[in-house]
Amino acid sequence: MSPLTITTRLAATGPVLKIIGDLDYETAPELRKALDSLSMAPGQMLVLDLAGLDFCDSSGISALISARNLAIEQCGDIALAAVPANTLRILGIVGLDQVFTILPDPATATNRDLMTG
Amino acid sequence: MMCRTDQAPDPEEEKDVDATDAMFTSLLEDSAEELYEQAPCGYLSTLMDGTIAKINATLLEWLGLERSRVVGRMRFTDLLTVGGKLYHETHFAPLLQMKGEVSGIALDIKTTGKQRMPVLVTSKVKTSEDGAPLLIRTTVFDARDRRAYEAELLRGRRAAEEARRQAEADRVRLQEALAVLQQSLLPAELPAVPGMEAASYYHTASPDLLGGDFYDLFPLDAHRWAFFLGDVCGKGPQAAAVTSLARYTLRAAALHDPDPVNALTTLNTVLHDRYTSGEGRYCTAIFGVVEPHDGHVEVHLASGGHPSALIQRADGSSDYLHTPGGMLIGVLPKATFTAARARLLPGDTLLLYTDGLTEARTGPDRTLYGDEALRTFTTTQPAQGPQALITALTGLLASFGDGLHDDTALLALGPTPLATPGVTT
Repeated sequence: MSPLTITTRLAATGPVLKIIGDLDYETAPELRKALDSLSMAPGQMLVLDLAGLDFCDSSGISALISARNLAIEQCGDIALAAVPANTLRILGIVGLDQVFTILPDPATATNRDLMTG
Repeated sequence: MMCRTDQAPDPEEEKDVDATDAMFTSLLEDSAEELYEQAPCGYLSTLMDGTIAKINATLLEWLGLERSRVVGRMRFTDLLTVGGKLYHETHFAPLLQMKGEVSGIALDIKTTGKQRMPVLVTSKVKTSEDGAPLLIRTTVFDARDRRAYEAELLRGRRAAEEARRQAEADRVRLQEALAVLQQSLLPAELPAVPGMEAASYYHTASPDLLGGDFYDLFPLDAHRWAFFLGDVCGKGPQAAAVTSLARYTLRAAALHDPDPVNALTTLNTVLHDRYTSGEGRYCTAIFGVVEPHDGHVEVHLASGGHPSALIQRADGSSDYLHTPGGMLIGVLPKATFTAARARLLPGDTLLLYTDGLTEARTGPDRTLYGDEALRTFTTTQPAQGPQALITALTGLLASFGDGLHDDTALLALGPTPLATPGVTT
């Protein structure tokens, strides 16, 4: 068990949330709270940097979907960056690898949008 | 710097001491008699038979009695309440006789207006020079405040005990309610299906948190049976509410249109619409239909984000019935689900499970159990039908110990196994 820490920074492409620790039944509400305080401009991309994610259970997966819903409500998009192998495997089982844009690292997300935008 | 030396006291200081002594004397008792009568506690002296020989004014005041009615006329026990008398006879007097003194005994004395007054009594026997007992001297302390404090403590303790008892009762009631709710999410027992055997198992990770796993098996018509097994994201009462919704939606959808993809699509629509605002609720599930024939069973199933079903074959092999790409149910307004078909021959068993099993952590380094280990385990088990496989897997789950951190549901279906050669039933 490791506690969850979330740090938010604002890139030109949109908010980048760095998620470190366990995302589970106990901690998932913290991600929702962090999301509540976000505001995105239309066309921006919300990036969740998961490089430091140690564990993600089904409550964590639900929180990731909440993030996606929030991004879409605000006419933006979402990408998961640096998804750990185990979480990527679970995303594959539940078919969410087809729903989320999955990128190797957060830089890819922030650079790419600068280039295309 | 101040320091004290062992010099002779200075004459000025001696004068001061004399003045202080004089002031104290003027304030203090006139006599020993005055001290006795007006002391802040009761005094009495009795003969060895308890007859009161002397009593002070303080105690007489507490008792509301005239000295003339007491001295030589009453015994010490006459001053006590009935309970006090009894205690005096059974404990106080024998102890006093034995030890010559007793101290701090709590008794009640009768005061004016038939009130009782709690006191602490200390008695000592006065003896003559040759040791013969002469009389008993007794002090009586007012213990009203102390007794009130003790009563308050006792009341506090009783209140705490009552609160604890109530909390314990509440906890038991809550646990019972949770158990009943949990049971309502699962069939009490699987129905008997002609030509088929079915078995199930449910492992609860935490008795305090309702799990989100569910399964069911029920008839569609005279020839076909529907089954499903699923897992709601999250846990606790919110997940249980979704579990209940999912279970009854799938049952109703199956009766309307038993096509597996259509049943899951209906559930997807219901979950997506129901939880369209705020925190969404999702589940994975495999839904299927079985049709027993002579000598085999046809299976048609579809998966929404759920781990693939496993088929244990009569020949000792095991393979997943892959359903890739099926989507977690309830996320998207339009989701895709993946269907698959299989034929089960006698000795074959179709196993559905939730990921509590495959996501369990095993061994000292807590490695993921995984689907390959599950497949291998199944191949090592004799193909003796659903019940035998569930029994073996129940043992496997138990062997995981605390590495099994999630609820786990198992459902196995297959044609009734042929009698094992050499075994008569």
